[in-house]
Amino acid sequence: MEKQSFYQEFEVFSKRTPTSNFQHQFSLLAPNGEMALVMAQENFMRREPVVDIWVVNRKHLHGLTQVNKQALQRLDNKDYRTTKGYGYLKKKWRHYEQVMLDEKEILSWGGGGKKDDK
Amino acid sequence: MSVVTQLSEQELQEQFEARIAAGEKIEVDDWMPEEYRLALIKLISMHGISEIMGALPEKEWVPKAPTLYRKLGIMAKVQDEMGHGQLLLRVAEDLLKPYGKNRGDLMIDLFEGRLKFHNVFHMETKSWGDAGLIGWLVDGSAIISQTNMLGSSYGPYARALQRICAEEVFHAQHGEAIIMALVEGTPEQRALVQDALNRWWESLLFFFGPASKDTTGTSKQDITIKYKIRVQTNEELRQSFLSKYIPRIQSIGLTVPDPTLHFDEAQNKWIYQEPNWEIFKKIQRNEGPCSQERLALRRSSYENNAWVREALTALVN
Repeated sequence: MEKQSFYQEFEVFSKRTPTSNFQHQFSLLAPNGEMALVMAQENFMRREPVVDIWVVNRKHLHGLTQVNKQALQRLDNKDYRTTKGYGYLKKKWRHYEQVMLDEKEILSWGGGGKKDDK
Repeated sequence: MSVVTQLSEQELQEQFEARIAAGEKIEVDDWMPEEYRLALIKLISMHGISEIMGALPEKEWVPKAPTLYRKLGIMAKVQDEMGHGQLLLRVAEDLLKPYGKNRGDLMIDLFEGRLKFHNVFHMETKSWGDAGLIGWLVDGSAIISQTNMLGSSYGPYARALQRICAEEVFHAQHGEAIIMALVEGTPEQRALVQDALNRWWESLLFFFGPASKDTTGTSKQDITIKYKIRVQTNEELRQSFLSKYIPRIQSIGLTVPDPTLHFDEAQNKWIYQEPNWEIFKKIQRNEGPCSQERLALRRSSYENNAWVREALTALVN
């Protein structure tokens, strides 16, 4: 049985730069969300750059049990979903004297950002 | 969707051991044998409380630091130590849930002598040389013992250690900076560091604990190695500390207060004068030079603030 306490458990997430994803940092105890945000900065962001913070009360988190996590395992037969299943195209394009437009090439087309590194 | 399977205790134990053997990480809600849970609670609550008790000898030097820059540096370090305590107590609390205990109970365990804090934090700090030496060699030792558990089979502890070790690097360099300034200073300043080393040497040998339980009667190292919570033994860690730090200590002109200390090529290990483990055992019983004073400080702060916790708890009931 859990003891009564004014503390609640929060999981802390933060973003390092405006373009990065939120990353889980750790958990902390705080009486409410507002204090949790203050504590999150004190506890986990004393040095690293940070542009945004989320705190989530643990009672609002829904997760998987150890047994249900096993259902996440995938069979290794899904090549048609990934570029791995189409790797043979590289050789085909070479035959036609063209370079294959692979993931690295395509994701470099963002424009305004990184230029071709060739 | 939920998969319902009924496994016997025996099957769960076998599954758990297979996960440990495969190098998988165990998470807080996963099934674990009680032996594993208790070993983790003992280790992590002691580690967490030691971070908090470790801030006490250092915070004494905040008002006495020689320059504003040094004051800011040591304040940042003290804040980090409290932060490490917070991280580790969170990990311990989550493990304690099945027993209905929380960090308040750990604090009571500390006051009543059931929960130990690290031997090195029972000692007196006499000079600024001590403050530097703690940062350099005590934190250096802490880095060695904590990196030994970075690959811990318990996921939350491994993740906490990852954060802690990153900050310990700053602590060690902060200590090195203080030591470097002193040894390159006046003869009095050099003497301050040598005196600190002389007084702290025994504590540094105690740091990693006895080589085996034959020395002090108990040791948790076998069980923590068995469950892959840590890798190396206490003696291996001590040898690693000596290999890393003896050349550095000597290179800046300091003398280790042990004339028998040498590296034995044939045995491939450092030979040193065994410290007096009876003193270590006394410290473990909270009978060290500053044990009671530091516990009293911690206790009075806990008791003086009790009314705040009680008033806020009354609000949620």
